[in-house]
Amino acid sequence: MDTILAAQVLLADGGSSEGGLFALALPFVVGPAVFGAIYGGIYRYYRNKDKRFGFERETDIQVGNLQAFDRRVGDKNRQRSATMSGANQDDPLQRVGRLEVR
Amino acid sequence: MQQQPGVQPPMPQPPAQQPPSAPGAQPQPPAPAEQIQDAIDEATSGDRIIDTDRGKSHGLDKCPRCGSSDVHYRIESRALVCDYCRNEWNEDNAEKAFHLDTPIQELRGDHIASGAQDVQAGDSMVTIKCQGCGAEIVVKSDETLQARCHWCRQVLSINHQIPNGAVPDAVLPFTLTREQAVEQIKTFVDSRRTFANRTFVKEFVPDNVKGVYMPYMVVDGNLHTDLRGTGEITTRTYTVQRRVGKDQTVSERYWDASVHELGRSFDVLVNDLTAGSSRQYDRTDSSAATNYILDAVQPYDTREALVFNPNYLSRFTSERRDLDIDDLDERVEDKFLTIAREKARPTIAQYDRGVRWEREGVAIRGTRWITMYVPVWLYSYYQQTSKGSYVHYIAVNGRTGKTMGSVPVSHPRIFSLACAGGAVATAAAAVVGWGVFLTQGF
Repeated sequence: MDTILAAQVLLADGGSSEGGLFALALPFVVGPAVFGAIYGGIYRYYRNKDKRFGFERETDIQVGNLQAFDRRVGDKNRQRSATMSGANQDDPLQRVGRLEVR
Repeated sequence: MQQQPGVQPPMPQPPAQQPPSAPGAQPQPPAPAEQIQDAIDEATSGDRIIDTDRGKSHGLDKCPRCGSSDVHYRIESRALVCDYCRNEWNEDNAEKAFHLDTPIQELRGDHIASGAQDVQAGDSMVTIKCQGCGAEIVVKSDETLQARCHWCRQVLSINHQIPNGAVPDAVLPFTLTREQAVEQIKTFVDSRRTFANRTFVKEFVPDNVKGVYMPYMVVDGNLHTDLRGTGEITTRTYTVQRRVGKDQTVSERYWDASVHELGRSFDVLVNDLTAGSSRQYDRTDSSAATNYILDAVQPYDTREALVFNPNYLSRFTSERRDLDIDDLDERVEDKFLTIAREKARPTIAQYDRGVRWEREGVAIRGTRWITMYVPVWLYSYYQQTSKGSYVHYIAVNGRTGKTMGSVPVSHPRIFSLACAGGAVATAAAAVVGWGVFLTQGF
């Protein structure tokens, strides 16, 4: 139902002929989305493929001797999203380019 | 670094014999400080072996009170129990016995417990001479670490480490009873019956649970890490009205942001990071079985592990370690990097639009590796599929009771419910869409 409410808000904002056409297409978007959400949700609950041990939070770890630098290098104006593109601070399992540390 | 008991440093070399100075010879200048430092680094960076062997010969492992060899681990007592005199005792805490509690920040180089050394392929048959009657008994050490003498009926044990990965440095005994584990598994499955595979529901017998000791490497790490990336901070948000028709406008929200380069560099001390060390139960390979389940029932209170004694395995099964440090070190390094990224999160709170880490690295100053058997109550279900059989596990942590599992699903049942839900949603969306269409038109 959240999807439908969100669509209503979007359509109300739009108020154009595009909005009217999108309104007609709404059932064809929402139906498969709900089907997929139910199927995926039940499958995940039974099979638990997404479960893992969060070792990075639960292992006994101490940190210290922090050295940090933060340097402003520019501006980005008129961005349409509240988050930057490629942000990965919440995905510590994702590996990025290696840096040699001595 | 202070020498630790139980740790064998590299064999010290005697100082080179200096030839007596010839009369009138020029005195040698003292070694530069850099050379001295290099020598210290070299001496402290090599692999060191922590001797964790009990030092007993194979054969009888007797009750310290009555001398019986019939000993088993009793979960209710949380102790080894003699079957004859009911004496109860435990081995020493492994961390204290092997001095594994020395400060991690002092670790330099790799410290490897003797039970964590590379597994050597070879004959797994061990011949034990029974100290009771003199008979020679062959034990297939891949499968068991104990056998009963078929002449005098005494229990013979493999009491010291053999290089086939079957004898770990430490063991974490079960504290959760079989009955508790069965109840946990039953509760887990009961909440997942509706959409479970019908054959599974018929064949599910939670009493078939087995107590298994799984091999893990437990790693301490003294690290220094460095992360580089880009972050953005919102400087302004505003809404712009955009004209889209003759007399209609839409609101559009925009964000202005400042862009920053950032770096974080810090020391990390990791205590008891675990890594599964059985190829068959490897978390990354779920092609034949749901191995990820075993990973998900962690953590284990590894600090409570005891010095290994084969009597703890009596009446349980155990999985032999067949992955070496070389097989695991890249995986462990990845875990160190993950830990570094996680620990950097509190330091980047000001970047409300996020941070994109682009480069990361870790310098490993020192590590300490030991092998440990950890307790798991394991229920296995072999599902027959068109491609063969696939094993679903339901596992219960033998210490904490944490339960996780995989229940095979009935696809027709899920499909039916998903279709019904999709149809209702489609109908609701059609009503809403039609209403909007009538309101707005073309």
